[in-house]
Amino acid sequence: MNAPARAIRSRYVAPIPAFADAFTAARSSLPGKEAPAIQDWRQLHFDRFLETGLPTPRVEQWKYTNIARAANVPMALATRPNVGLGDVQRYFTGGPLARRLIFVNGHLASELSHVRGLPQGVRVESLGKLLQDEPEWSARALGGPAEPHSFADLNAAFLQSGAWIELGDGAVLEHPLQLLFLTVGQPAAVMAHPRIVVRLGKEARLHLIETHIGLAPGHCLTNLVGHYELGEKARLTHDRLQLGSAGTSFVGLNRQRLAERAELKQTLATLGGALVRNETDLHLVGSFVEAQLNGVYMPIGEEHVDNVIRIHHEAPDGHSDQFYKGVMDDRAHAAFAGKIIVHQDAQRTNAFQRNDNLLLSDDAEISSKPELEIYADDVKCSHGATCGELDRTALFYLRSRGLDRAQAESILTFAFAAEVIERFVDPAVRKLARECLVARTPGGAGLSDLL
Amino acid sequence: MLKITDLHVAVDGGSKPVLKGLTLEVKPGEVHAIMGPNGSGKSTLSYVLAGRDGYAVTGGSVRFQDADLLELEPEERAAAGIFLAMQYPVEIPGVANNYFLRQSLNALRRARGEPEVSAAEFIKKLKAVAERVGVDPELLKRDVNAGFSGGEKKRNEILQMVMLEPKLCVLDETDSGLDIDALKTVADGVNSLRSPDRGMIVITHYQRLLDYIVPDFVHILADGRIRKTGGKELALALEEQGYEHLLGEAA
Repeated sequence: MNAPARAIRSRYVAPIPAFADAFTAARSSLPGKEAPAIQDWRQLHFDRFLETGLPTPRVEQWKYTNIARAANVPMALATRPNVGLGDVQRYFTGGPLARRLIFVNGHLASELSHVRGLPQGVRVESLGKLLQDEPEWSARALGGPAEPHSFADLNAAFLQSGAWIELGDGAVLEHPLQLLFLTVGQPAAVMAHPRIVVRLGKEARLHLIETHIGLAPGHCLTNLVGHYELGEKARLTHDRLQLGSAGTSFVGLNRQRLAERAELKQTLATLGGALVRNETDLHLVGSFVEAQLNGVYMPIGEEHVDNVIRIHHEAPDGHSDQFYKGVMDDRAHAAFAGKIIVHQDAQRTNAFQRNDNLLLSDDAEISSKPELEIYADDVKCSHGATCGELDRTALFYLRSRGLDRAQAESILTFAFAAEVIERFVDPAVRKLARECLVARTPGGAGLSDLL
Repeated sequence: MLKITDLHVAVDGGSKPVLKGLTLEVKPGEVHAIMGPNGSGKSTLSYVLAGRDGYAVTGGSVRFQDADLLELEPEERAAAGIFLAMQYPVEIPGVANNYFLRQSLNALRRARGEPEVSAAEFIKKLKAVAERVGVDPELLKRDVNAGFSGGEKKRNEILQMVMLEPKLCVLDETDSGLDIDALKTVADGVNSLRSPDRGMIVITHYQRLLDYIVPDFVHILADGRIRKTGGKELALALEEQGYEHLLGEAA
C-alpha cells in the first residue's frame, strides 16, 4: 500500500467481514442477478466500498457522526415484513390524485402503490424492475462510479429498489408524486438500500414528496441515494419528511445538478430516528438557477441528526438559500455543516445560509459549521448561525396575554420549528409534520388545538 | 384601582435609574394620558405595570385592586385585569392569530375560575370585534403579527384588548405608525371599552391621539417623574408650547 492510501486508511476503518458475507448472500437474490452488466456494476462498487472503508470522525464530512461505530456492525439485507393498507394510509400525502410508490424496508410494495395513468412524457418506474428487466440499459443509465463514497458505493452494491422518475421536455405532473418509505424495525440489525433517480427535461415540472416513516421500533439502517438532474427551466418542488421510529437509522446522499434557470425548492423535516444523516451535494451548473433548501430537525432522547450540505455555484447569476432550524432536547445531538463554494466563473452569485438553533436541555448539543469558499469577486454571500434560548420578548408578550410560562414556552418552541414546516408545499405533509412537532414539543399536549 | 406611589425603577442591572419617584392614581372609569419626551420613562412605566423582567424596582409601591402588583407574574397581572397594548407587538410565526387569542382568553378565564368559551361562541365574538376595530378577517387566520404592517399590528393589539376585556388598559404609543383613518378606527375600538369600571392609561408622544381618545387627565412625564398634571387642555398647550416651555414653567 502506498503512502496516501495509508493516510486515507487511517481516517477510515475496514468494513467487517459481515459485509462481504451479506453481499455474497444477497447477490443471488437482488434484481438483475442473472445479468452480467448488473453483476459487474455491483461488484465494482462493492470492491470500492471495501477499499475505501467506513469513515471515522477524522474525515471532515463525518466529523459529527461516528458512522463507523454505528454502521460497521453485522447487518443482513432487510426482508419485507407484512404491511397492509390500514398501516400506511395515514401517511398518504399529496391529495387524492397523487401517484404513489410505497417501499417497505427497501422492497417495493407494488400492491400498495399506484402510478398508473401518467400523462405523456412522464415515466415513473420501479428501479428494481428496471434492473431486472432492462439490466444493460439500467447499468448504463445508473452510470459508473463517481468519486468514491462509502455509502453510495454500498448502495450500488446492494441496490434493491427505488424509483426511476423521468419527465421529458415540457412534461408536467400536475399532482404530487409520493415516494413513501416505510421502515419496520427488526430485533436484529438489517439494512435497506433504495435509490431515487429524477430527471427533469427542459421546462418539466414535478412536485415530489418523499416520506420516510418508521412503523415499529427496532433496528434498520436505510441507506438512500438520490440523483437529481434538472434541465433548463425545470422546476422541482421536493417535500421531504423523516419520521423514523426508535432505533431506526437513516443515511442519505442527494446529488443534484441544476441547469440554466432551473428551480429547486426543497423542504426537509427530521422528526424521528436514532441516527439520521442527510448529505446534500448541490451543483448549480447553469446560470440563473434558483435553489432553496429549507430544513428543520428536532431530535429528542438520544437521537442524532446530521445535515451536511455542499452547494457549488459553478455558473453566474445563481441564487441559493439555505434556511435550517433545529430544536434539541434531552441528550440529543444535532450537527449542521453547510458549505457554499462559489467558482471563479460564478459572478453575481447570491448565496445565503441561516442556521438557528434552540437548546431545550443542558445535555443537548448542537454543532454548527458554516463555510464559505469564494473564488469569484462579484458575489453576495452571507451566513449566520445562532444557538440560544427562547426569545425573552416573545415570552413576555405571551405571558402578558395570560398564558403561563410553560404554555408560552411550548407555543414558542413549536412556533420556532413551525416556521420551516410552513414551507412544505403539500398541506398533508405539513399536517403530518405539525403533528409530530407537537408530539415532540415539551407541553405539546396543550397544543393539540393547533392541529 | 391602580395606585402608584413614589415608584423608583432602574434598568441595566439596576445601575441606571429611569423612574425616579413616580406617583399616579387611576380610578375606575378614568382615562389618563401620559405624555413626555423620549427617554422620560413612559415605556418603562408600561413594562413595569405589565411585569416584564429587566426592570428593577428600587423603591415605592404599585397597588392594583388591593393587591401588590409588583409581586405578580405577568400572567397573573393579565388575569387580574391588566392589558398592555405594546409599542412593538411580537411576531409569532407558526401560530395562528385566532388560535393564540382563544388560548389567551381561555387562560384568563381559567385563572379567574370562569368556564372556557366554546369555539363557536369565540368565533362569533371575534368576528364582531374584528369588524369593529378594522382588522381584516384574513389576518385572524394568519400567524400572529407575522408579516403584518405596522398599522395592522397595532390594530391587532386593540383587537386583543377588546376581546380580553381588561380592567386596566395600558396603551403604549399605539398611535405611532398609524395614518389618520387607522387612528380613528383604533380610537373607536378603545372608546368602545370605556366604562365606569374600567381604567385606562394612554401613553403617547402626540396630542393627535387625544383628539379621539379624550382623556380625563393629562400628565407630563419627564426625567422619571410626573412633572405636571392637568385636563385635556394640557395636551393642547403642550402641542403649542413644547415640553421645555411647559416644564420650565413648572420648575
